[in-house]
Amino acid sequence: MSAELHLARRYLVGLRRRTHVATVTLISMVGLCLGVLALVVTLALLEGFQSSIRSEIVARATHARVSPSRGRRLEDPVKLASVLQEKLGQVEMVQVVRGTCLVSSLSDAVPASVVGRSDVLEVVVDRILAARLGVGVGDEVQVISPRQRLTPMGPLPVRVRTEVADVRAPEPGAEGGAVRMPLVLAQRLLWGGEVVEAIELRDSERPWRLGARVRDALDDAGVAAQVQGLDELHRPLLLALALERVMIFVAVGLMLVVAALNLLCNVAMVAAEKRTDLAVLSGIGMTPRALRRLFLLLGTGIGLVGSTMGAVLGIAIALLLDRTQALPLPRGVFIVSSVPFRVDPAMVGLVMAVALSLAAAASWLPSRMVARREPAEGLRYE
Amino acid sequence: MSDAQPFVDLRGVSKGFGTGSARVEVLRDLDLEVPSGRMLAVVGPSGVGKSTLLHLVGLLDRPDAGRLELDGREVAILDGEERARLRNRMIGFVFQYHHLLDELDARDNVALPLRIAGESAGRARARAMELLEAVNLSDRAGHFPDQLSGGEQQRVAVARALAVEPRLLLADEPTGNLDRANAEQVFSLVQELHLLAGLTSIIVTHNEEIARMCDDVFRLAPAGDNFEDV
Repeated sequence: MSAELHLARRYLVGLRRRTHVATVTLISMVGLCLGVLALVVTLALLEGFQSSIRSEIVARATHARVSPSRGRRLEDPVKLASVLQEKLGQVEMVQVVRGTCLVSSLSDAVPASVVGRSDVLEVVVDRILAARLGVGVGDEVQVISPRQRLTPMGPLPVRVRTEVADVRAPEPGAEGGAVRMPLVLAQRLLWGGEVVEAIELRDSERPWRLGARVRDALDDAGVAAQVQGLDELHRPLLLALALERVMIFVAVGLMLVVAALNLLCNVAMVAAEKRTDLAVLSGIGMTPRALRRLFLLLGTGIGLVGSTMGAVLGIAIALLLDRTQALPLPRGVFIVSSVPFRVDPAMVGLVMAVALSLAAAASWLPSRMVARREPAEGLRYE
Repeated sequence: MSDAQPFVDLRGVSKGFGTGSARVEVLRDLDLEVPSGRMLAVVGPSGVGKSTLLHLVGLLDRPDAGRLELDGREVAILDGEERARLRNRMIGFVFQYHHLLDELDARDNVALPLRIAGESAGRARARAMELLEAVNLSDRAGHFPDQLSGGEQQRVAVARALAVEPRLLLADEPTGNLDRANAEQVFSLVQELHLLAGLTSIIVTHNEEIARMCDDVFRLAPAGDNFEDV
């Protein structure tokens, strides 16, 4: 162990001797500890909510979509489905058509998105549309297509009168109303024939990898089609979540900057208070470079102890709040029943790295000041 | 002064502090030779520049003008790193107020110059124990400075000054802060170790009695009218 490391350790371990340096050191450590603690708990809270949202997407949304690379209809959906089945094995596969129709009830008529799926057997409206139309299970609605057919009375829009079999929560990210119906019914409304616009797939084992697997499978089979994975299908939402994480990190991370400025002041105060000691150290042969290292080690040591304490406390608090479900949420409003916390080790590592870098940067200035001082100055003004 | 080769040689050294009208010339055109193995007392009224002289010889400060040689080597021109290494290898300091580090016990304080020189912790501590034994403080090795008396603190400081077996010992009022009995004890110790280790020593003191016990006395006076008793 070098002399400067030995001394830096003694300055830190010397806390129990209750010197002024020890008090100043303790204040800096507590500052960094609180900064890291706040950041770890906040990011665990954010990660908890965001992982709930991501789980919800995975549980309910499509994991990959294959659509034509040109036009709106797939050339040979049966062949495409068999290629995907052969290459991917056990994945859920659904044929889909989509469009916009006017949906009317006795009280109102609103435009809504119509989704026809091969796995849907009855007409289901989402809560948004049900609320707008004022309908519930068993009520009748009329779906009017923009497509027209020629009748003895002239061209009339194609329409279907049907009963609402169920009302469900909207798809993640959906804002307008939507109605889901059997594929055949939607094909009649939107196309007038057996047209398939897309094949949607789900893989509960590896949902986030499905897009890439489908892309590889179609490339191998030489089939040209547009493939969207989970990332592409929910890009705006996922980008918003990522942006939220960055913004919260920066905002709460400002606490670490304040703690680092406090560390800078405190290390500078130690440098001023220990002026004579430093002159003596210089007198007995400690080089300016070693003196600079001593203060860098002192600041980084304070940073290491403070941020480790903060990280350990933050992880403990987050885990405790999550396990005990200590912060309940009103049912029906949120997708979870209590505030979720999820500690991401990589994020804790990043917080520690930022705290240590700030501590090192904060001690750099006083260390430079100390190294530049002539040793006699410290003895002359004692 | 003796005809032997000077270990410390100052030629035309000047040093002042401040700038403009507030500037004070403390040392002006000073010449001084200290032969190898001699003990020189530097005496003079307060503010005359005794400590400044010691700081210049001890490479703690730089002269404004003049030449400064230690053991025949020009040292005023060396950079900070080289001067620090030279201080560590060649010079031992004893200050008026011991200046031990509060965070280290007596043994670690004495071992510190050796740790700076790159010695291992074990060897540095073993050597520190030998030195504490030489100053009769081996039983106080684990005590921190605030647990030692003034005399004991100064004896630890003497042990620290001799840790790296320096060739030049510089002491700034080593007994100035002690009562008569402790002052005599500390000075006898310094004298004994000076002879034993064959050191060249410069002692700044106000105490005429101590000055008389040195080999040579250098009287520092304002305006540079210095003279030397032998």
